[in-house]
Amino acid sequence: MHISEGVLSPSVLVTGAALTAAGCGIGLKKLDYDRVPQVAILTSAFFVASLIHVPIGPSNVHLVLNGLMGLLLGWPAFPAILIALFLQALLFQFGGITTLGVNTFNMAFPAIICFYLFGYAVKGRNNLISNGAAFACGFFAILLGSLMVAISLAFTGDPFVGIAKVVVIAHLPVMIIEGLITLFSAGFLKKLKPELLEVVHAKR
Amino acid sequence: MPKGSPLRTNRLSPISWSMILLLVVMFVSASHALAHRVILYAYVEGDRVFTESYFNDGKRCQNSRIEVLDMSGEKLLEGKTDNNGEFSFNPPKKTDLRIILTASMGHRDEYVIRAGELPDGTEGKARGSEPHQIEKKVLEAEKGGEKETPSSQLTRLEVEQIRTTVEGTLDEKLKPIMRLLAERQSEGISFVGVVGGIGFIFGIMGIILYFRSRRGR
Repeated sequence: MHISEGVLSPSVLVTGAALTAAGCGIGLKKLDYDRVPQVAILTSAFFVASLIHVPIGPSNVHLVLNGLMGLLLGWPAFPAILIALFLQALLFQFGGITTLGVNTFNMAFPAIICFYLFGYAVKGRNNLISNGAAFACGFFAILLGSLMVAISLAFTGDPFVGIAKVVVIAHLPVMIIEGLITLFSAGFLKKLKPELLEVVHAKR
Repeated sequence: MPKGSPLRTNRLSPISWSMILLLVVMFVSASHALAHRVILYAYVEGDRVFTESYFNDGKRCQNSRIEVLDMSGEKLLEGKTDNNGEFSFNPPKKTDLRIILTASMGHRDEYVIRAGELPDGTEGKARGSEPHQIEKKVLEAEKGGEKETPSSQLTRLEVEQIRTTVEGTLDEKLKPIMRLLAERQSEGISFVGVVGGIGFIFGIMGIILYFRSRRGR
């Protein structure tokens, strides 16, 4: 999901950077400073998750964890993902510095969408709905992320449908795995530390 | 669970522990599984340029587009990698070659082959110019008064021949070493990198909390 340097046109890069800057602004404003350690832990998890390679499927993909980030952090997922991607670009040459804005937006924006779509359902009392929502949160965060990547690439002139097909199919195993990870994480949190899920929503 | 709840609020958050555990598990599984980046590597052998392209974990980039440009950005040729992620071509002219690999999903890498690495006689034009130069040198030398004997001219040609043979053999012998070097260089993930990155993140957290705590006072 990391778009390399030199692939995208400058206008896409600038748009991505601007959107990411706006997202980070909102994220920092909404950040409850008592939760900074939690944000840091999730940032580390996101940072390391990309090193986990998913060998299933036609292409070379890795975990992203943006659904879980969105679910647990809300808007602060933006600065968190930005920092993690910056370090990945710097230390592992995943993506790149110029594509940082686009890549951050491609992963953080789906996180926010899923947070709004599924956040309330996940913390609901009904276990079945809650679990389903958590799975959907992880699943759709990757699906939307793949579509975002396809949209970014489509601006360089390649046909959108073709790229979208490739990216979505490649990430299908990851979608399912991330759905399960989000499901178990959310279920675990609800049992042990339900206020973690509550606070985010109180802060909206 | 009403029984456990008052206890739990006082405990050091179990979720932190579980997340740390998650990190550890990820880290362990990450050590043998590399992620997402493409690597292009090219070398000259004989009068052809060979390219190899693969993902970070060693999987080959099949059917990916390879473009060859000169340094001014003019496209010289393009092609697709085969099932082994390989592609080879005859350099159309002796110049610095910028080889660009575009794999699926926005992955891209570049490799530059300098003109000096290319064989002298890559193409008709280039080959034509080379003996001409030697002849010219000989003529100049003759003009300068130092008349060269035919035998010295012969040695010169022999030297030329020996050089190309040696170069060819060296290319062959050095190929695995060059590949090893390229692989070593492109292996982005290291233990130090992973731990360092996590350290950075917690360092940033520390800075934020530090300023936060000062403001609170």
